[in-house]
Amino acid sequence: MKPVWILARREMAATFDSPIAYIAGAVFLIATGLLFFFGLGGTDDFFAAREATVRPLFEYAPWVLAVILPAVTMRLLAEEKRQGTLELLVTLPVTDTQIVLGKLLGAMGFLVVALAMTLVLPALVMSIGHPDVGAILGGYVGLLLIGTTFLALGVMASTWTQNQIVAFIVGMMLCMFFWTATDALLRLVLDQPPPALALLSFQSQFADFARGVVDLRNVLYFLSVTAIAVLASTYSLRSRHWQ
Amino acid sequence: MTSAAMIQVRDLVKTYGDKKALNGVSFDARAGEILGLLGPNGAGKSTTMKILTTFLSATSGTVTVDGIDAAANPLAVRAMLGYLPESTPLYSDMVVYDYLLWCGEMRGLARSDVIKRMAEVARVVGLESVIGQVIGTLSKGYKQRVGLAQAMLHNPKILILDEPTSGLDPNQIIEIRNLIRALGQNHTLILSSHNLTEVRQICDRVVIIHQGAVVADGTLDELEGRVASRHHLIVGIQTTATHDNDALKHMLAETPGAKSVAFSHSSQAPVPAAFFEVEADTDIRTALFERIRAAGLTLLELRRKSLDLEGIFQSLTQNA
Repeated sequence: MKPVWILARREMAATFDSPIAYIAGAVFLIATGLLFFFGLGGTDDFFAAREATVRPLFEYAPWVLAVILPAVTMRLLAEEKRQGTLELLVTLPVTDTQIVLGKLLGAMGFLVVALAMTLVLPALVMSIGHPDVGAILGGYVGLLLIGTTFLALGVMASTWTQNQIVAFIVGMMLCMFFWTATDALLRLVLDQPPPALALLSFQSQFADFARGVVDLRNVLYFLSVTAIAVLASTYSLRSRHWQ
Repeated sequence: MTSAAMIQVRDLVKTYGDKKALNGVSFDARAGEILGLLGPNGAGKSTTMKILTTFLSATSGTVTVDGIDAAANPLAVRAMLGYLPESTPLYSDMVVYDYLLWCGEMRGLARSDVIKRMAEVARVVGLESVIGQVIGTLSKGYKQRVGLAQAMLHNPKILILDEPTSGLDPNQIIEIRNLIRALGQNHTLILSSHNLTEVRQICDRVVIIHQGAVVADGTLDELEGRVASRHHLIVGIQTTATHDNDALKHMLAETPGAKSVAFSHSSQAPVPAAFFEVEADTDIRTALFERIRAAGLTLLELRRKSLDLEGIFQSLTQNA
């Protein structure tokens, strides 16, 4: 697994060398900050609610992550393909899976930094009240998991094209689809979707985390989707052999 | 099929959709030799190399590297290879030092070993002065050296270089060629080129690929012998103000063994001279010299017109 880490380190450095990371980071912090304090109007308003809770952060952050994380992953393989460096990368004595995992781990560096910067919000709430610390931890575990899943979907989109913009748009659509559409689509097709199917939606899987509950089933769900995206990315890299 | 064959390529076929890029390519590269893959653009040289380096899989056929099947055990084969793909793709945002360090570590070398080895490689390829620069800011020649440096960093048994001098200026070409020749002393080296002079200067043996098939395989002497049975000479004779080119031509044609003589051109500097092309079945250089001296003339130049690779190449690829 050493090559995974060496590759991830390079990707982290490359991510923070590019303006994309700072733009995406700024958008994330500003958007989640605004949504946290002012919500979408009405009862969401932090100041009007007068409640010491960080929960709005966990409700809104996935929306923003679904948009900005594909911007971080769009470069990862599309650029290697466009520049031709993929040929050198995949002829190093490493497996395609190690390459995909290294890219994903590198992008997680950005996710961790971005989430760490939002810690100022729970710190603020704790300074003025007594929020449930367990719930905050649970929420962050959830954000880390759903963020990683979004990154894996973004990496997968990046293996499909050599155009970063295409990778971004496809990645964002995938993230948005899994985050929002599965519930809505199910409701569109079925009046009362069976609970088993509803479980496939990111939102229903994430809901417990937002409440501060870390359920092993939810954890396994996001890890499984990540694993499937990693496998699909590996398969996509390998497809060069039979094209 | 000698036991010293480091790389055995057998019956490679590669199809892209309907298009057959390779149609049964077979050749060997012996340990320690510099093998040139020669062919026109689009002949299948790069595809062959991409399969050798396990970047692509062949539709059928096998590649064996040091006894290991490349398709069955690609990682073991990759570990033995250094590869410089066509047009030298590099991470342009990285500093040369960081890039080479990264390449070495990705190949499983310890950091301290990479640093030691990097100093050596940087000296060999002449990268010392730019080791702290961002790759994107380097000239094409220096980028090529970075590409060579990453290929040889782990001291691989085999180097595979795809068009290593394309896009370089004449001075850079000479430097890179010298470098490749030096590398060939301790590595098995396969390079592709469509430049015949280059192959003549560097390679021990040549495999000519045309339309996805091997049309010739041998040393340059062998290939030249196949195509060129005649001796073709260029003769330059010093001329006077009153000379007659036809008379000179006639005189040369009387040399025993000369089959045909043709006037080529005349020149004035540094001394007035007339040049002729003489064809013969045997080596008549001594006879020509004696003949010219006997006529009281001054021989300025006598050389074999290499029925050069251009000629070999054309006759092989056009008939194929």
